[in-house]
Amino acid sequence: MAGLLCNDPSTIRALYDTHFPAIKQYVLQNRGTGSDAQDMFQEAVTVLWLSVKERRLVPDTDPGGFLYRVAKNKWLDVVRSAAHRHMKVVHNEQLLERRDDAPDDIEERIVRLRGVYDKLDDKCRIVLDQFYFERKDLATIAAGMGVEEESIRTIKYRCMMKLRAFRKAINGEEQQQG
Amino acid sequence: MDRLRFETIEAYVLGTMPGDERARFMEEMERNAALRAEVELQKENILAVEFGGLERTLRTIANAEQNDTTGKGTGRSSFLKYAAAVALLVVAAVWWLVRPAEHERLYAEYYTVDPGLPVAMSATGDHAFQDAMVAYKLGDYHEARSKWSALLQQEPMNDTLRYYIASAWLAEGDAQAAIPMLDALTKEPASAFHARAGWFLFLAYVSTGEIASAQAMTIGSDTTYGDRVRRIKEQLGK
Repeated sequence: MAGLLCNDPSTIRALYDTHFPAIKQYVLQNRGTGSDAQDMFQEAVTVLWLSVKERRLVPDTDPGGFLYRVAKNKWLDVVRSAAHRHMKVVHNEQLLERRDDAPDDIEERIVRLRGVYDKLDDKCRIVLDQFYFERKDLATIAAGMGVEEESIRTIKYRCMMKLRAFRKAINGEEQQQG
Repeated sequence: MDRLRFETIEAYVLGTMPGDERARFMEEMERNAALRAEVELQKENILAVEFGGLERTLRTIANAEQNDTTGKGTGRSSFLKYAAAVALLVVAAVWWLVRPAEHERLYAEYYTVDPGLPVAMSATGDHAFQDAMVAYKLGDYHEARSKWSALLQQEPMNDTLRYYIASAWLAEGDAQAAIPMLDALTKEPASAFHARAGWFLFLAYVSTGEIASAQAMTIGSDTTYGDRVRRIKEQLGK
């Protein structure tokens, strides 16, 4: 969990290596493909990551069990919605059982965070990713990009101000609607 | 919000603020609702950036995994090896037939994009110039050139603008468009960009295959670029 808190790539990789096979097996056994399994696993990791970041998990939570439950429930949602769209009868009782998923508000949070990130252009993503996600210092980013540290500092500031302006506009709209 | 305030909040959110400063900041937050709102906003924005990074990392891992799975041996692997070898030979033959001319090769060997000027926050009102410089440094040469060209309308003789517009043209791969601006700058010995403009004009001629114009340039004695110019001229003369 500490590795997830600091976005350690080896922790993310280890989660994949250790827990993806079980999720893949479940999805494949339930009419899914390898690609579906990848999607479910990625969604589940984002829920786990956000839960860790926001201190929503009780101590000693088993990450493998958590990922499996979330991925399974997400896949059940997909199967149900596909069955509904095509008016198919789902014979597998297990697929109709009630879900005990991650809280719904975390799904909303994920959609919102994704929406904010989508507002960034590629230039900003390159710099901000390295600083906030990879936790590189300004000098390292600057050296990697062949520019001065001061330039990176300025770019970071301007990109974050763009995000701030976007968020303020959204908040204003929400308040008006409220 | 100015940059200092932004970075103070950022240090608080990232947990890099020294203890005593943090205590003072928290006291200020208790009194100041607007500051609390800014802190929350910045927390969310940083979280959104981290979230984007996480999704990117997950995609990278998944792609690597898929490539790995695809690349693992199958019954067709030896056939694929032969097919790859044949393809390599075909590619090599095509490359030999359409390989770049000597002047293009020399240009590719010697040309590097001008790194641009440091982008610093200042209150001197050159925001538009700096904005374009940010784009330039991040490789968005078209955007940089557009922004500088707009400024050049107001200051047509500004040598910095002319030099960097030409640099952006070169970086975009359009040496022909860069030549007139660089040529004009080489006729302005007082300009800070005089020598660099000469070097890039020389390279622009090399790029476009105007070998006679390149050979005619007399910058072989330049202390910074002279060696390179002489080496390229020698190669072109062979």
